[in-house]
Amino acid sequence: MSANPYMPMLGTIVETFDETPDIKTFRVVLQDEAAMRAFRFQPGQVAQLSVFGTGESTFVICSPPTRMEYLQFSVMRVGELTHRLHTLREGDPVGIRAPLGNHFDHQAMHGKDIVFIGGGLGLAPLRTLLLYMLDTRADYGNITLIYGGRSPEHLCFKAELAEWAARGDMRVELTVDTPDKLWAHRVGVVPAVLTELAVSPQNAVAVTCGPPIMIRFTIMALEKLGFTDEQIVTTLERRMKCGVGLCGRCNIGGKFVCVDGPVFTQAQLKDLPQEF
Amino acid sequence: MVAKFLATDALADIAAAWARAYRLLAPVREGQAVVYRPWAKDMHPFLGRPPTVSAKEALFPQTENLLTYTYRKDQNDLTRTEVFLAEPLPQEPTVLLGCRPCDARGRKLLDRVFLERGVKDNLYEARRKATIFVSVACDRLENTCFCHWTGGGPTSEEGSDVLLFTVAGGYAAKALTEAGERLLAALPEAPAPAQEELAAKLASPAEPGPAPDLSAAPQAFLALFDNMDFWMDQSARCLSCGVCTYLCPACSCFNITDEPSGMKGKRLRTWDTCMSALYTLEGSGHNPRVSRAHRLRNRVGHKFCYHPQEFPAMDKKPGGQPEFSCTGCGRCIKACPVSVDIRRIVHDILEKGGKP
Repeated sequence: MSANPYMPMLGTIVETFDETPDIKTFRVVLQDEAAMRAFRFQPGQVAQLSVFGTGESTFVICSPPTRMEYLQFSVMRVGELTHRLHTLREGDPVGIRAPLGNHFDHQAMHGKDIVFIGGGLGLAPLRTLLLYMLDTRADYGNITLIYGGRSPEHLCFKAELAEWAARGDMRVELTVDTPDKLWAHRVGVVPAVLTELAVSPQNAVAVTCGPPIMIRFTIMALEKLGFTDEQIVTTLERRMKCGVGLCGRCNIGGKFVCVDGPVFTQAQLKDLPQEF
Repeated sequence: MVAKFLATDALADIAAAWARAYRLLAPVREGQAVVYRPWAKDMHPFLGRPPTVSAKEALFPQTENLLTYTYRKDQNDLTRTEVFLAEPLPQEPTVLLGCRPCDARGRKLLDRVFLERGVKDNLYEARRKATIFVSVACDRLENTCFCHWTGGGPTSEEGSDVLLFTVAGGYAAKALTEAGERLLAALPEAPAPAQEELAAKLASPAEPGPAPDLSAAPQAFLALFDNMDFWMDQSARCLSCGVCTYLCPACSCFNITDEPSGMKGKRLRTWDTCMSALYTLEGSGHNPRVSRAHRLRNRVGHKFCYHPQEFPAMDKKPGGQPEFSCTGCGRCIKACPVSVDIRRIVHDILEKGGKP
């Protein structure tokens, strides 16, 4: 007889802090130490986080598999579950079903230049891959991050943005729609910055995530720069429940975002019925 | 094999005997409807017409417990609360009495999702192994029936453990599986006239009439996918009430919700419906299926395009049709308050999308 696919592992929140006014980061360890040591995942895979009594929702594991002291989740407060999650503190229990879904094909990106293009909390899935690549830096060519938000206070992972910019082995370009007096970076939307930088598609892969409208215009900009459909990688969001391809709701045509995604190339997306 | 016999006047006693060894779900009349109920004393099983609801609830209940949780204070650190999880109770062996061949075929379509797609659903699997389907062969087709369009028929054996044939004075019972044989073991053999009547029925079953060739439906559907005018027309009268999905023997989408009660509670699975706007509504407010047209398109597409594409060659007979996620039971047509007819939609898809 099979195991119950809906039974979560128990985890404990070990750290929580605010990223923006409505985004909070949670660091979680599994309560079973042996299970935590044995836990393996790939960058881009997601988890179902439970607050028992409220429910479950899907979040990307935004820490990389090369840093296994904890699993990190960054969560925007938008609905019932995320409101409840935001009230949790260090020491509180949560349920975790993970790893779920597919992942970024980082093997196929070896030796290539990588362009990360993120907006808002869309940086979360990019962060897991970016940190993984920084931890195995020699395997990749130039790494560029173009990251934007509504305003400086809406940017996530702010401390790390400065750290990455100071590393010297990657390029960081930040932009906001509405700057404040202290803002020393670009102003404008992400796709415009991408176009202005004229990033070369030569031996490159573009990985993008953000609000749907940003992704749409980013893909248009990438296509203009000469990126092919196979060179553009994105992650999709969908309302999910079971996370294992059974409950039916995250289908796009015959594919399920929870098991066939969330990572898709633009070539794969073009093969699907256009219902996003 | 000689058929067994269930005399009409002994039916309640036979059911009562089964109910001592199994959980028995029997069809009973409630108002205008025929629904399955757990066996109770003085119940009268009604096999006279197809139940109003599908048989899927025997394997995939409308509401079921996925797990229970309990919060308890950590006695070593009273500033903390711990949580404990428990598995649901095991499944009881069950007999479902009185479904129709179209319902029994639905079992195979549920298997595709819950057992064959990828991750196995252990709760479904356990119930599946523990449930015996006793179906009643149909003597005639109602004007909403179209089982023969999708590979079934009024005497189809697929998915049933026992098939009952209406004969004078009762039912001649044909066991189709070992579980079915065990269930029938204690029953008498059918008397000679009943045997003869059964033989005659098997020799010339109810003639369902011609069926259209739906082989081109998946491609025709995709050709029409972006034609929103088509889908607006098809869904213009739809109310998004979802009754089509709840009564469907093949619809298997579900929701998961927590039901707390003080410091403990249950995580429940309930039937859901892709006809609801909330089904795909995301936290951000974005909804990929924003109108009834999008939602009806998804329901029809799943049944006549995505399912056959996902399970392409299974059970495909030479020259036969692909497998659709529809058994042609016609309940969605019968129960629809505004008479949306899925046969008409499929017909229009073939007509408008099938041409180059």
